[in-house]
Amino acid sequence: MGVELKSLIPNEKTQLNKFSSKIVAIDAYNAIYQFLTTIRGPDGNQLTDSKGRITSHISGLFYRNVNFLSIGIKPIYVFDGKPLEMKSTEIKKRQILKSRATLNYEKAKLNFNIGNMKKFAQQSTSIKDSMIVDSKHILQLLGIPYLQAPSDGEATAAHLTLTDQAYAVASQDFDSILFGAKRLIRNFTLSGKRKIPNKKSYVEIEPEIIETNKILTQYNLTRRQLVDVGILIGTDFNPNSFHGIGPKKALKLMQKHSKLENIPEIEGELQKIKFNDIRKIFLEPNVTNISEIKFNEIDYKKIEEYLVNERDFSMERIKSSLNKLKAVTDRKKQSLEKWFT
Amino acid sequence: MNKLSFSAKTNGSDSLKAIISAISTLVEEATFVATAEGITFRGMDPSHVALIDISWPNSTFEKYQCDDDIKFGVRIDEFSKLVKRANKKDSIEIGISNENMLVVQVGNSKKYKIRLIESSSTDTPLPKISYDAKIELNSSILDKILGDVQVVSDYLTIKSFSPNVEFSGKGDLGEVTISMEKKENEIMEVISKDVVIGTYSLEYLNPVVKAVGTTANSITCEYSTAKPLRMEFKITNIGRIHFYLAPRVEN
Repeated sequence: MGVELKSLIPNEKTQLNKFSSKIVAIDAYNAIYQFLTTIRGPDGNQLTDSKGRITSHISGLFYRNVNFLSIGIKPIYVFDGKPLEMKSTEIKKRQILKSRATLNYEKAKLNFNIGNMKKFAQQSTSIKDSMIVDSKHILQLLGIPYLQAPSDGEATAAHLTLTDQAYAVASQDFDSILFGAKRLIRNFTLSGKRKIPNKKSYVEIEPEIIETNKILTQYNLTRRQLVDVGILIGTDFNPNSFHGIGPKKALKLMQKHSKLENIPEIEGELQKIKFNDIRKIFLEPNVTNISEIKFNEIDYKKIEEYLVNERDFSMERIKSSLNKLKAVTDRKKQSLEKWFT
Repeated sequence: MNKLSFSAKTNGSDSLKAIISAISTLVEEATFVATAEGITFRGMDPSHVALIDISWPNSTFEKYQCDDDIKFGVRIDEFSKLVKRANKKDSIEIGISNENMLVVQVGNSKKYKIRLIESSSTDTPLPKISYDAKIELNSSILDKILGDVQVVSDYLTIKSFSPNVEFSGKGDLGEVTISMEKKENEIMEVISKDVVIGTYSLEYLNPVVKAVGTTANSITCEYSTAKPLRMEFKITNIGRIHFYLAPRVEN
């Protein structure tokens, strides 16, 4: 879920082509989860191949990355490792919600309530190990690098911006900012209309960029203090710990008292959480280092084989996407770059 | 303008217009670097097929002052619109104001201010190539040749064997060959180590040659077989304006 910083954070609308030739570290679980919840039929069922295996994530990853590569964006995906022990409460809560949603889905199915079926199917979405294997496979065929993080993927993604190996992190969650990402891109996709879950209305989705330094300057906070603001609002490591403190109040308290320990209003509640450990998770996260991010050739033939023959994608659509991609990348090959060295 | 740590005043507006419109054929946002020595720009189009490298030494300005090195980014079409408001003889003075705006004084009476953008450019290297052929020709002759070839082709092939040079193109419609040789005021120079052949995209060549146009007295093309082309536009009052273009390689 991540920390609810949204209302505090000024974002700037942007366009995908601004990231052409830039390396962007993408929160893989976040992206895959989105594909699994949104790429669904009207009854809420995910796409499947002829063997009944889910393919929504493969479809999402394929089309979105073809798009990125055509624009010249260089994505690197960062996969979550083991969740930290401290996140267990939040994870348990999510598991309960999911199993409840699964029950409700079955109930809706018995009653032929299509609307509820879709709603609960989306809520019960979970990422299975086999989907991670599929995801890594399609990325590899596209020549796109990925990294396995020791724990939170966002921490490693943020770290890549700190070492200047990536320009920005792409995720819907704001945690990346607490992990120190220089820039966060939300809605890292083509602009367009998206349906609001469970409602019959649509919103216009546009990519947004958030520059962490600008936020710190605007609120006159250090990164440490921003992490404290996050803890006050509630992170995955201390959900619901401070009652009656929303984003605005958290910011005010921090600007006035400059650190958690100095805020008289929360003295009692603060003692109940390991706030120093939480600070450490964000400020000194356990990350994977990589010496060089390498992009490989696109294996057009194997992509077609995998998607069309193995996973029953439409040959016509896959071929047409791959042809467009090939035309663009061939043109890029005719660049000056090979004469620079 | 007063108390600006950086200001540069041109003599007339033609050179600046030519430079800005040449840059605008490649990029939407341009980052200029000003130092005590002068102003430089280097940038590539998004697919990195073409590169422009400009150096504009302080001596070419009517007045030039730069106390600290600065980098400033502008949206090039916005900058271009302002510069185009100048008459031929108007001088143009640019500077950066305290509130971080680009100040453009056109002639004696007009003063524009536009917002600067965050400069995002990284250092662009130059292609390292040894050139086997060099052709110097009149800019309007080259413009005409490009127009002639574009009728049938998207690409220009240059084949040189001193003192001759052949420009050709081939497309779905048909093909064209234009044979020329060294001739005063048209083809000033053809130096070629043996036969040298290179093919380049008109999609990039045409706009830049049109943009600089007759502001350049002459254009020097240097190239090697299957290697990039380097064009040098000889413009009065500009130190160096080089345009690099990657070769078209047959698949």
